[in-house]
Amino acid sequence: MAETINPTERLQEAFGNAIADVSQVQGIPRFRLDKETLPLVAHFVHTHPDLRGSLSLLWAVDHRPREARYELCYLFTLVEQKDWLLLCTDLHGDDRLFRSITPHIHAAKWYEREIRDLFGLIAQGHPDLRRLVRHEHWPKGTHPLKKDFHWDTVLERHQGQHVFRRIEGEGVFEVPVGPIHAGIIEPGHFRFSVAGEPIMQLELHHFWKHRGVEKLFERQRLTTGLSLAERVSGDTTVGHSLAYCQAVEALLGLEVPRRARYLRSLFLELERLHNHLGDVGAICNDTAYALAHAHCSRMKERIMQLNDRLTGSRFLRGVNQIGGAGCDLTAGQLSGLLEETAAIERDFSELESVIFANASLTDRLEATGVLKERTAWDHAVMGLVGRASGIDRDLRRDRPFAAYDEVPVKVALYRYGDVRARLRVRMDEIHESVRLIGEIRRLIPQGPIAVEPAGLPAAGSWALSAVEGWRGEILYVVMAGEEGRIHRCKVRDPSFVNWPAIQWAVLGNIIPDFPLINKSFNLSYAGNDL
Amino acid sequence: MFRIIKKSLKTGVVTGQHPEAGPAEQPVASEARKNAAPFRRSLAVREVDTGSCNACEMEMNALMNPVYDGERFGLHVAASPRHADALVVTGPVTVNMERALKDVYRATPDPKLVIALGDCAVNCGVFKGSYAVTGPVERHIPVDVRIPGCPPRPAEILAALEELRGRLDKTAG
Repeated sequence: MAETINPTERLQEAFGNAIADVSQVQGIPRFRLDKETLPLVAHFVHTHPDLRGSLSLLWAVDHRPREARYELCYLFTLVEQKDWLLLCTDLHGDDRLFRSITPHIHAAKWYEREIRDLFGLIAQGHPDLRRLVRHEHWPKGTHPLKKDFHWDTVLERHQGQHVFRRIEGEGVFEVPVGPIHAGIIEPGHFRFSVAGEPIMQLELHHFWKHRGVEKLFERQRLTTGLSLAERVSGDTTVGHSLAYCQAVEALLGLEVPRRARYLRSLFLELERLHNHLGDVGAICNDTAYALAHAHCSRMKERIMQLNDRLTGSRFLRGVNQIGGAGCDLTAGQLSGLLEETAAIERDFSELESVIFANASLTDRLEATGVLKERTAWDHAVMGLVGRASGIDRDLRRDRPFAAYDEVPVKVALYRYGDVRARLRVRMDEIHESVRLIGEIRRLIPQGPIAVEPAGLPAAGSWALSAVEGWRGEILYVVMAGEEGRIHRCKVRDPSFVNWPAIQWAVLGNIIPDFPLINKSFNLSYAGNDL
Repeated sequence: MFRIIKKSLKTGVVTGQHPEAGPAEQPVASEARKNAAPFRRSLAVREVDTGSCNACEMEMNALMNPVYDGERFGLHVAASPRHADALVVTGPVTVNMERALKDVYRATPDPKLVIALGDCAVNCGVFKGSYAVTGPVERHIPVDVRIPGCPPRPAEILAALEELRGRLDKTAG
């Protein structure tokens, strides 16, 4: 048994003098550093064999007009203990520059570009400082999350052209795809460089759906932001609203009743179920196996109708509210739900054997779109995509929320990282979700389902919450402002992290397999673009 | 093979096994019905997402599943605006998508219909006023039909499309 490592001691040993202040927020050790040492500490946390910190979130806060400073926060998940570690630094006065950590920590790449776009803070030494969220036609100097930028500013349109990375050489050509695609999907742009059929490079150009969600949150009160959280990514309604509720509850110091926590887990599993069922079908459909698609979309529809009957919303809108659950289920409804999900599982198991008996399907799925464990680790890939590449992380087990401390989860894990592995993770999670629904039904206690929020948090206090949605880890950082308003709400859908990884998974594959690979990731554009 | 046949026999026909749509929130204008006259028998739609939360996309997808089976009403999803009779637009129009929407509209051959699907497309919903949103769909291109809801249920979408094409009249009277 290895001795337990205390990360705080490790860091103090190595950087004692540079650490200005160590504190605990919600049990997370927080180190305040000056901006010159922070990249060194971040590198240390990332590479030290005992810590192996993976960058989970990087966000900025504009503290003006209260204090003349910007704050940068780096959240790491330590791989062994599954604990969080937070590094913070300040940029005072007119200082707009900080040192990029991207050269050492690949996962920071998009975060730093995002911070530059939204706050005008520039990561020096970043290898790629093109615009990310603001497309090139936005006027110069528009940084929407700065406090002096009004939420309802009408933007002018300027001339500008996005410059893609280019590979030049004989026989190399580019294939642009999007933003409007052939199927019923969301807008995004993909630029392939190919020589013959295999993909040599893929570059993403996203953020077409940027709606200013984080700025809109700043207009809300803590208690009214929920309907916005539900609409960050429609297919993850429960995941996002739960993450938002948990953050606000931590700020208000609310203790959620036990029954409500069980209901939250139940709805989260229902959401996982209908999305996974849809995805299994869609992956099969992209190999032109329409039969499996038809069966899966039939089962998915069955769950959606079940959702509608139970809660009045096919997407489970309104099932979470601050302080508890928004709707209760009677014992009769619960046993009906159990019967229905068990029937769907039997139905699905039969289909599973049909799917795996199909050799030509297996041929398309195996060794297609391989995301190696090393690449996944470098990009801090999470959720089901990570679990298909050997990243053994699941918040339901590692940092139990809702009722998962009382209803433990068996985590599906595969190592091949190909489309088939991602399909297998989904299939295993479907069975696991049905089992969990049974467990929840067995253990759910009686009692109230919500407590009333009372009191207001101090301005400047903040809370972090994490939920394992069906795609992966959803993180919310909510910072309270004056009189119960929201000063800052950082939303991070797992899509934002997993999108860049797709650029590596497709290398060497042929363009006709791209839709299949993309489908097996099935990332949200809305949750990414915000 | 036997497994597939067994599965198909056990499943049976599921088409039509969905709840009835409630009364429409916003009836289809008679002018829109006149515009839709050429598409009574078949309607090829191109779905354009200009900034939705993707729930509307999911419901459009559901429309084509075996339960709703939009195809039986002559509904097709076209892969390109050049093949489309109607554009179904979801979401508020974001600053970044504005030009793409106008391009798609120009690329769709006349005569054409524009259907604004969901609250966001009709009035921007919760995203109203944001710096990144330029307004509802009708600010940029003429809209024939509005199907409100967040998101509207597939049965409601189906009913609205049927009403638009005047196909409900036969049963109603």
